[in-house]
Amino acid sequence: MATDVRQEVERSESGEQGVGFPLTDIDLRRLLFGIGGIAAFVGLWWVVSLFQPAYILPSPVVVAETFAAEAASGEMTTALGQSVRHWLPGAVIGTGLGIAVGIALAWSPLVDDISSPVVRVLRPVPPLALIGFAIAWFGINHAGAAFIIAVGAFWINFYATYGGVEGVSEELLDVARSLGVQGDLQQIRSVVVPAASPEIMTGIRTGIGRSWMLVVAAEIFGVPGIGREILRASNNLQVDVVITYILVLSIMFLIVDTAFRAAQRRVLAWR
Amino acid sequence: MAIDDPDASRVRVDNVGKQYTGSQGPVQALEDVSFEVEPGEFVCLVGPSGSGKTTLFRVVAGLESPTSGTVSLNGTPVTEPNADMGIVFQEYHLFPWRTVHGNIAFGLEQAAMPADERERRVQHLVDLVGLDGFEESYPKDLSGGMKQRVGLARALAVDPALLLMDEPFGAVDAQTKEMLQTELLEIWEQTGKTVLFVTHDIEEAVKLADRVVVMAKDPGRIRDVVEIDLPRPRSRTDEAFGEYYERVLELVRA
Ligand SMILES: Nc1ncnc2c1ncn2[C@@H]1O[C@H](COP(=O)(O)OP(=O)(O)OP(=O)(O)O)[C@@H](O)[C@H]1O
Ligand SMILES: [Mg+2]
Repeated sequence: MATDVRQEVERSESGEQGVGFPLTDIDLRRLLFGIGGIAAFVGLWWVVSLFQPAYILPSPVVVAETFAAEAASGEMTTALGQSVRHWLPGAVIGTGLGIAVGIALAWSPLVDDISSPVVRVLRPVPPLALIGFAIAWFGINHAGAAFIIAVGAFWINFYATYGGVEGVSEELLDVARSLGVQGDLQQIRSVVVPAASPEIMTGIRTGIGRSWMLVVAAEIFGVPGIGREILRASNNLQVDVVITYILVLSIMFLIVDTAFRAAQRRVLAWR
Repeated sequence: MAIDDPDASRVRVDNVGKQYTGSQGPVQALEDVSFEVEPGEFVCLVGPSGSGKTTLFRVVAGLESPTSGTVSLNGTPVTEPNADMGIVFQEYHLFPWRTVHGNIAFGLEQAAMPADERERRVQHLVDLVGLDGFEESYPKDLSGGMKQRVGLARALAVDPALLLMDEPFGAVDAQTKEMLQTELLEIWEQTGKTVLFVTHDIEEAVKLADRVVVMAKDPGRIRDVVEIDLPRPRSRTDEAFGEYYERVLELVRA
């Protein structure tokens, strides 16, 4: 199972690489290049939109107007508030459980041996395939959507934590025991968790990204929120509205990710 | 830091054997090893690579259980690592997420020592190993010699009866090594700790030890024990030093 986990962690890490916005780096060069890249992207978008009807690709100007209108009407804040009501509990519960279960399996060979077959069966199930359960168990509501998001966050955090805990050096645990640390819980608290914190933090961050993506999926079956707005606008061919709410998702992700990165850097200052 | 009960630190190694199952069958890392370390004594363990020095260190530290025989510290059998022994590794193994202060305080936190007393003790140890001004540094920012000072202070913090060191100065440059040796001797004289010190550096052993236990390999066993009857500080240019050196060297090579 060990190698599985490593690959999984690497995959989930590399899959999310490059999303970091260079704002927090006090690196003028990178910042300027970043702004230049965005400007070029928007410029290209604008040029292409000149030759397309609005229902295929609206111009950035139209999208900006729609964005302003949606924001002014209060629709946007309402949708965002709805999404946060399942995103937040889903992400928090999924992350917490993923970390806890990851520690338990990686720490105890017994728990690992018992759980590993179950893990291997459940792992390939995409969160979206669980919508039926979400509806049956929780209903078409925030709890159901939170469940979908939690499942997604769970696996990412589980594998990241598992890999991190597996990598904790035996010698550090030896030293800790010679300094009076006794029992599993104390060892986990005083050595395992801090030693694995870089991997755990990477898992949390990757999981946050994934959970924003899952917001859309989780709202497919009718729970209100940003994803619902995107789906509704898609059905009405309102591409400008679709892009507006995609932007809202991106901005939310960016804010949360930037904040987390700052926290991560502070917590991991020892590295 | 003076020891309260000088008898609390006698190490007895009794007929210890340790067999590993290596890739090419069983390896007798230790066979029938017996010796004692007196309270307050400084004993060095030397021998060729593979003679079981690290294995013996780990067995005495309770990190590994022997296949046969027993180890006891002041009459109590050693079965797992505990705060009666301070262990120091060649690779330091500091807690990288803790500062110098945090590393030294680690064992004291486990012992639930009152905060003000803990502070005083950490400060005392920082002084003892000469790390003033580096309390808030993380291990990644320290040189090898400084890291090993932290390792030593961390082990001493809980006032262990026995200090166990496995090639602690094996990874630092020659000058730093000399400095650390001198400092270790000073600390040893000040605290009266019992020390079991593994090294493959014969000069180091003759310089530090009251007694040198020489090991041989295949199977790992004790070849001989040499008492170093020289006043400290010892100088390697001394004639008697040279004689001891030759004697131990011969035993190691034999
Ligand atoms: N975990 C292990 N599994 C299998 N064999 C081992 C293990 N640890 C040590 N050995 C074997 O036991 C013997 C003694 O090893 P040990 O590390 O104690 O020697 P040493 O005297 O410390 O050597 P060095 O000077 O190189 O550090 C060697 O043959 C080694 O290969
Ligand atoms: Mg060794």
